[in-house]
Amino acid sequence: MKIALRVNGVLHEVDVEPRKLLVHVLRELGYKSVRVGCDTATCGACTVLMDGRPVKSCNVLAVQVDGAEIYTADYSDEVMEKLRGAFKRHHAAQCGFCTSGMLTTAYYLVRRGVKSEEEVVEGLSGVLCRCTGYQNIINAVKEVAGL
Amino acid sequence: MKYVGRPIPRVEDELILRGKATYVDDVELPGMLYAGFVRSPYAHARVLKVDFSDVLKTPGVVAAFGPGDGEPFSFAPGGKVRYQGEAVAMVVARDRYVLYDALEKVAVDYEPLPAVLDINDALRPDAPLVDESLGNNVVHDKVYEGGDPDRALKEADVVVEGRFVVQRIIPSAMEPRGVVAAYDGDVLTIWSSTQVPFDVRKEVAKALGLPLSRLRATQPFVGGAFGSKLLVYPEEVWVATAAYRLKAPVKWVATRGEDFKATTHGRALTLEYKVGASRDGRILAVTGTVYADAGAYYWGEGLADTAAQMLPGPYDIRHGRLRAVAVLTNKTPLSAYRGAGRPEATLFIERIMDHMADVLGMDRVEIRRRNLIRQLPYRNVFGITYDTGDYPTAFERGLERLGYRDLKRWADEEAKRGRIIGVGFSVYVEITTFGYETAVLRAERDGSFTLYTALTPHGQGLATALAQVVADELEVPMESIKVYWGDTAYIGDGIGTMGSRSITAGGSAAVLAARRLKQELARAAEALLGCRPEYREGVFQCGGRSVSIAEVVKAVYRGKAEAQLTVEAIYHTEPTFPFGVHLAVVELDPETGFVKPLLYKSYDDVGVVVNPLLAAGQVMGGALQGIAQALYEEAIYDEAGNLVTSNLAFYYVPTAAEAPRYEVYFAEEPHPSKHPTGTKGVGEAATIASTPAVIMAVEDAMRRLKPGVRIDKTPITPEDVWRLLR
Repeated sequence: MKIALRVNGVLHEVDVEPRKLLVHVLRELGYKSVRVGCDTATCGACTVLMDGRPVKSCNVLAVQVDGAEIYTADYSDEVMEKLRGAFKRHHAAQCGFCTSGMLTTAYYLVRRGVKSEEEVVEGLSGVLCRCTGYQNIINAVKEVAGL
Repeated sequence: MKYVGRPIPRVEDELILRGKATYVDDVELPGMLYAGFVRSPYAHARVLKVDFSDVLKTPGVVAAFGPGDGEPFSFAPGGKVRYQGEAVAMVVARDRYVLYDALEKVAVDYEPLPAVLDINDALRPDAPLVDESLGNNVVHDKVYEGGDPDRALKEADVVVEGRFVVQRIIPSAMEPRGVVAAYDGDVLTIWSSTQVPFDVRKEVAKALGLPLSRLRATQPFVGGAFGSKLLVYPEEVWVATAAYRLKAPVKWVATRGEDFKATTHGRALTLEYKVGASRDGRILAVTGTVYADAGAYYWGEGLADTAAQMLPGPYDIRHGRLRAVAVLTNKTPLSAYRGAGRPEATLFIERIMDHMADVLGMDRVEIRRRNLIRQLPYRNVFGITYDTGDYPTAFERGLERLGYRDLKRWADEEAKRGRIIGVGFSVYVEITTFGYETAVLRAERDGSFTLYTALTPHGQGLATALAQVVADELEVPMESIKVYWGDTAYIGDGIGTMGSRSITAGGSAAVLAARRLKQELARAAEALLGCRPEYREGVFQCGGRSVSIAEVVKAVYRGKAEAQLTVEAIYHTEPTFPFGVHLAVVELDPETGFVKPLLYKSYDDVGVVVNPLLAAGQVMGGALQGIAQALYEEAIYDEAGNLVTSNLAFYYVPTAAEAPRYEVYFAEEPHPSKHPTGTKGVGEAATIASTPAVIMAVEDAMRRLKPGVRIDKTPITPEDVWRLLR
């Protein structure tokens, strides 16, 4: 099936098998920051923004995103750059494998105007990190969210 | 400008935070083929027949390899599989979707055999044999002894006996294992998600009969390892062999479910103990047996042994006898997981101290105070010599800094309001650092430096920490040093990142390389200046003249002076011993048995701290892994040997919602190791200390509801808590 999707502002037209997952299409298009860490939509390393909302791209068929606007962790704007700066200062990334999912989720939380630490924690709880113990990630997101 | 000791953000982050870090699955090569494995659904079975006739007719399938293909394809050795998930065959195809369809078309005839899943069953004389050639399931049995434990037990006022069971852990690095291999007819290149590229190169070279010089193993960015990637796995050899035979690039990346079965598990040690003490609380003798549930192959050598030898911990115990036994079972092979025997040793001795304190009616702080080693260096009862430290002072300062007494009082106050809070602490001494490590440092003609390390960082931030120590040694800006790692094209041999050894072993190698490079450059500078120069901040000077390092390098290339511009240092280490006190606060819900970790605090003497930002990162991440061992995680098999916790949906890796708040402290006056960096290692400290601290905290909380209750296993799940309280 032919679909069109916009990724980080760039339009892509691709011919995909109906069973193909969005995460695989994005990776084949070169968006390698979208990572595969599980088979059960648990780890969140593949989280991208689809029409403004975070989705686990392993849980979305590529054909479902025809016409959609996708943002990945490669995206750059003021909020994403602030998040990058805060992640670096707070040492919020270690191995980096979950970091893309953390950044896209954090971007959504900040844009949505997250109000409290509890909301940050709950918002990030869909992305697993095995390295950091989470505190530095939570602190980085809080800083950018002005909490 | 000193860099060591400063909380400098990581240089690695630029790539990671822009999504540009290349992990093994991101390696793309023209004509890439994809490999996958047919894995046994049975825990124990004879493999009667593997039939590829259907799969080889499938469009897009390139090749299939099975038990009949000979070495190095060691599928189903001895004609049987020994654990669920053991590979039986390998298929190579042009596309991943085609591959996973094709794997279903490999027809395997199995004859299921009775499986043995528990060490007690495995030790029975009539137990099914995991490895028939052994004659029983005991693959390792060694006794460690010192002093006169029998007499000491006889003379003890009090003797306690017990058993403590540590569960099987699935290391769960966020990146599953994977490997890419490519052969162009000249050089075989391997990219692997590994901690040990040097070993991968050696093993593949051996398997294929290739000289090391024709083989290049590289470590791309690795998405976590925690010890689970420190063996050379069969898949690495098989994928490399397929690439070599097919003269094509081949990629295999495990699915999560596959990784949970095909990557080694950790912990899974059980202690049976008998310990004697005097009436005033001095531990006189520790005796018992440490059993390792080794799984189907004895890959994780020495885990029970480390637990036994380090079991005396930071306490002055003069008599001991511990047997280390490894037992084969039909489960995924056991190997290192962050700490590898040391977390178990600490958990065991800390539980023993609490058990003894209970029997003697003594305070848990007081019994430790009476047993702590007073004078370092100290040779423990099993012959291990702890190097430096001041345990009594660090213990008292640690408890004070962590606010133990205040938190206990606060918990009492909260109890009046109906909140059940528990406070626990632990004390540990850790053995770190072994073997040698290699560094190669090159002076560039523009005054910058290129450092190659044999360390294999996978999240620790070693490129930053190494640049700090080398910049201090060379007295140059950190930005002038670029660190490369994980590539056998740069360095002939080394070990890698594991065992809290990296900055001590590899950092010291880098410091030595920097010292040698300075000597080399000084020799050339002397020839250029005509006098013996002083060195300061990148400049050699004497007799009123000076040359910069860049000028010296250029002069060497022009033939005006002689020097080695690339130097190699191979540093041989000895163990060193961090010490610390950690504290955990938990809240217990008596209705559900659910335990919430609220606060985690640590006070460590790990010698010199190169970068407190990175060190604290290691402590917090390690703490959550140990907390999860105490409360959540367990690899569960059913009676047929099916791994029930077969993926992240069923295996409880904690999320941000479970994480406590952390406070991380390092000793103000640390006791450095004797290594050039003065470091002792921090990667595993909190994984070691957190589990016993949390277990003590949970027990403390439970005792508010039911005095005298004792925890004798990990994890302590809500169901366990609920049952113990009834």
